[in-house]
Amino acid sequence: MSWDNPYLHSGLVIVAITIAFLTIMLICAATVLAERRVLAFIQGRLGPNRVGYGGILQPFADFIKTMMKEDLVPDQSTRFVFLLAPMIAIVTAIMAIIVYPFGPTVTLPYLNWTFPLVIARFDVALLYVLGVTSVGVYGIALAGWSSNNKYSLLGGLRSAAQMISYELALGLSLIGVVLLSGTLDIYSIVEQQSGWYGSQWNIIYQPLGFVLYLIAAIAETNRVPFDLPEAETELVAGFHTEYSSIKFLLFFNAEYINMITVSMLATTLFLGGWNVPFAETLLGRGTLLFALVCVLGFFAKIFFFLFLYIWLRGTLPRFRFDQLMDFGWKFLMPVAILNIVVTATVVFLLGR
Amino acid sequence: MSALLFILFAGLAIGCAVAVVAQRNPLYSAISLIGVFVALASIYVTLAAPFIAAVQIIVYAGAIMVLVIFVIKLLNVEHEEPRRQRLRFLVPTAIGLAAVLIAETAFILYSVQASGSRVRLPGPTSDVGLTQSIGVNLFTAYLLPFEVTSILLLMAIVGAMSLARQGNLLSPTARVVPGAQVLAMDIVKPRGFEDMTPVQTESTAEAAELLGVEFQSDPAKRE
Repeated sequence: MSWDNPYLHSGLVIVAITIAFLTIMLICAATVLAERRVLAFIQGRLGPNRVGYGGILQPFADFIKTMMKEDLVPDQSTRFVFLLAPMIAIVTAIMAIIVYPFGPTVTLPYLNWTFPLVIARFDVALLYVLGVTSVGVYGIALAGWSSNNKYSLLGGLRSAAQMISYELALGLSLIGVVLLSGTLDIYSIVEQQSGWYGSQWNIIYQPLGFVLYLIAAIAETNRVPFDLPEAETELVAGFHTEYSSIKFLLFFNAEYINMITVSMLATTLFLGGWNVPFAETLLGRGTLLFALVCVLGFFAKIFFFLFLYIWLRGTLPRFRFDQLMDFGWKFLMPVAILNIVVTATVVFLLGR
Repeated sequence: MSALLFILFAGLAIGCAVAVVAQRNPLYSAISLIGVFVALASIYVTLAAPFIAAVQIIVYAGAIMVLVIFVIKLLNVEHEEPRRQRLRFLVPTAIGLAAVLIAETAFILYSVQASGSRVRLPGPTSDVGLTQSIGVNLFTAYLLPFEVTSILLLMAIVGAMSLARQGNLLSPTARVVPGAQVLAMDIVKPRGFEDMTPVQTESTAEAAELLGVEFQSDPAKRE
């Protein structure tokens, strides 16, 4: 059978999507557990440690418990939009994972099959990620509107305003990397960062862009200290107050998958993606062991960012809404534009 | 395969476009418009123009429509409001214009097929729609239109700023509360509870009667 056979190719893509989906879901479950255990550690508690060894099965127990709950739809809600909102949230969250390379190009021994560890590689991968993220706002905004609940509506309004504001800073903070790489293809951006034992990583040339991206990404995923849309002290649970059972689970999962995807973007654009320093010299490019080390390195970097998220949640208090808006528009935006101007000037002068 | 995809996305686009006009609820119209944009972006991808598709999603579906939905939510347009009839003459006009458009398309199709010359279109592997070729063309061959558009956008920004600085742009139904938040009418007055006029009653029994619930005055009988 020819390697270029379209049916074989699409079958392999479906297999790859399934593997990536299951991986993301498992990371999601691990993050939920890690969040509870790490937060408990920060606050001097034990956290859930009864289900399975050290509480490792707790996310699955929680999943079954939440699924068993009654699926409520409020009487005065806009029914269709109410059902549509969690679907938009989860679909846009999952759609973003297809462009991230999990590892280098792998050649299977004996079979001589060569394939890259990425589901889809295309010219505008970075723009695709930004577009999918920006569509994700609708999930939250429509959920808040359709519930016919004051808290939900306030949460949805806050979220829409916050995500529009921080999307700009997020996009602008990435332009420095694009200027350096000269491409929007994430796979090529990662390839360009390999070699020289990690000194080619974009974080070294774009430290300001990295910090800006990190702040904007936290705001974009509605996490502490930017979790105004679901501030429980003032808004009960924010936009998902009226959601229960599987629909609540979809929102909950979407938030964690969004965390994972922004961590993946930070890793691929600033921390060299799957590149592990010294791995190429010690193991040789193209071997299976090298690929395995690279994939593990990629996941280690993602888990570092996820840990950072949890750490921030255990440490920082919440912003006030006007502080949030001032910070986004009057600080992040001008600094991001400054970063672009400086980077463009340096790139022009050095002719890189 | 590509014909199948085209039929799928074109059908989606047309269906959503009809829904935009036909829906009475403005929010449903807005959601349908997002559907149109997404379907159009998918068609751009099949036409080997991924950059246009991505920009379409980011700018139209991701930014402009979020603002539209934000405004609809904030102003809370009543969807029971009856249609104004004074623009009725627009319906035959629209049908006439649509007929002209369809006739033009049919004429172009017919003339292309009649002339017999196969127009060579860039195939799905063309690099015309790629980011690099668009960027190079924007800054060389089409620099003047690009700069003129930039100035137009700048004027729009300055105009929006100067309008917003005059103040009093909030709708009379919106209320401002501490913390610089604008409350929609939905929060002040939820749907489904239209009659909010206070009623004064003399006794608990009277209040219970008004509310339509049973009232047991003797505490001993209460369960």
